[in-house]
Amino acid sequence: MTTETCDIVLSGKLVNGADKDQVQQKLGTLFKTTEAKIAELFTRAPVAIKKSVDVSTAQKYQRAIEKAGAECVLKTQQPPVAKEQQEPSLSLVPMPEQQAEKVEPTGVQKPKKPGYDFEITGQPDYSFLTVQIPANETLKVEASAMATMDTNIEMKTKLKGGFGRFLTGESLFINDFTAANGPGEIGIAPGAPGDLLHQYLDGNTIYLQNSAYVASTADVTVESKWQGMVKGFFSGESLFLIRCSGKGDLWFNTYGAIIEIDVEDDYVVDTGNIVAFTEGLEYTIRKVGGYKSLFFSGEGLVCRFSGKGKVWIQTRSAAAFVSWAHWFRPVKRK
Amino acid sequence: MNSEQEDLHEVALKGHLSGKIRGSQAFSYVDIDLEPGESLTTETDAMSSMDADVDLTAAFNGGFFSGLARKFFGGESLFISRFTNNTDQSRRVTFVQPNPGEIRCKTLNDETLYLQPGAYLASSDGVKLGLSWAGFISFISREGLFRLKVSGTGDVFYGAYGALLEKEVDGEYIVDTSHLVAYEPGVSLKLQLAGGLFSSFFGGEGLVTRVEGQGKIVVQSRSISGLAGWLNPKF
Repeated sequence: MTTETCDIVLSGKLVNGADKDQVQQKLGTLFKTTEAKIAELFTRAPVAIKKSVDVSTAQKYQRAIEKAGAECVLKTQQPPVAKEQQEPSLSLVPMPEQQAEKVEPTGVQKPKKPGYDFEITGQPDYSFLTVQIPANETLKVEASAMATMDTNIEMKTKLKGGFGRFLTGESLFINDFTAANGPGEIGIAPGAPGDLLHQYLDGNTIYLQNSAYVASTADVTVESKWQGMVKGFFSGESLFLIRCSGKGDLWFNTYGAIIEIDVEDDYVVDTGNIVAFTEGLEYTIRKVGGYKSLFFSGEGLVCRFSGKGKVWIQTRSAAAFVSWAHWFRPVKRK
Repeated sequence: MNSEQEDLHEVALKGHLSGKIRGSQAFSYVDIDLEPGESLTTETDAMSSMDADVDLTAAFNGGFFSGLARKFFGGESLFISRFTNNTDQSRRVTFVQPNPGEIRCKTLNDETLYLQPGAYLASSDGVKLGLSWAGFISFISREGLFRLKVSGTGDVFYGAYGALLEKEVDGEYIVDTSHLVAYEPGVSLKLQLAGGLFSSFFGGEGLVTRVEGQGKIVVQSRSISGLAGWLNPKF
């Protein structure tokens, strides 16, 4: 009787990047019910979908629901023994005290955490980022990614980072866009076809593969990091990672679709498919099998992550695209 | 499951022609069901498949000289293809665009729409295609010397590389060159630097188009120059 129990509460919000219809469809399959029923649940959100289950079961549910794309909160209760004097209304469905926070679920991706208002459209193939910059604040954007903006936004190019920028190859420049005299809107289109992801940094650090950076707010520090001779050369991608730390919004893009992986033990990713990973993960570049497989399997070198953290991978790699397209490129004749 | 997923990517046409825009934004294609007597005009090589008894005639794009002008200045083909259903039942024509990206349909009701060179794909009867002078500003901003003017009453199909985003402009707005696909006649274009002199030339943005006036603009979420900029250093 002493085991702690909790309620599984569907907050009604969606995980970043999730499409409402697809989430509802997935949840429908998950709970073997109709989409309409799920949609109805969403309109009453936040709503407890299961009450008084033990914590490990609840976590299992939470993982499954969040995987489907809906945000899910676990409300811990006192152990049932100590619960006697509590008002039974506390576990009513839906919970009345939370009604005030009721959020209209929308099909558009909105930030659920502090940060700028933004919208990602055109997902997943040609994602386009629209950010609302508050008055007199500055957004850092990858060079030549700006596609549209309000006329009151001023652009400045800074050679921040000094010489190190030149070595990263791709992101030679980051432009500063400042909303002068009032808030402004900016539309950002990355070069590669693919998806866009938003992360809110709260003192933590994310490493990006060097062409993944799209934009960040002013308090996010963006710097390139030398990977070391061996790691850099053999990863076949670039010598540098971009280190993003501090507090604020960070957006990065992928070539192809994006997959988020929670690394608990060891995980192996082809070097060309790495987009980003969190600090705290150790990584080594190594070959998959023996030397024979290094040269003949086509897998070459992989990155082996160990520790605990998150890795984002892209479902296509630029190097693979280049070697596929290369034979069709016209030959220059002199 | 498969059919459900396909439904998500279908846009049924509500204008003069019946049919659907299918495929995802990445590789849109259009199925048109031509009623008896109806016809459809497309740029050359746009048709990917059709029922065997649909009649195809090739014609100059508005006459020899204006066809030539459209080819060289409007980014369109010298010839156009005209598909006519001379049977007594509904017949299907499927057409595509050469580049990956989204296709949209706009139903004109005695209205005018300006398209960037190369964006035009097809139209129903009643839509007039014209080439009009867009000014040197448009040329310098790499949008071309001319713009395509589609007017009349009917459906027009246009497409571009990337997803297409509609934006209502009221006042002024800035669009990077080569991202503008279509705009309504209430909108005019001006050219300006993206930032200061240094920023504009070293910041990779260069010149931008300043859109002024009132009306809808359509922006493509990717540009071929952006793709080249991402890809070329990797070769």
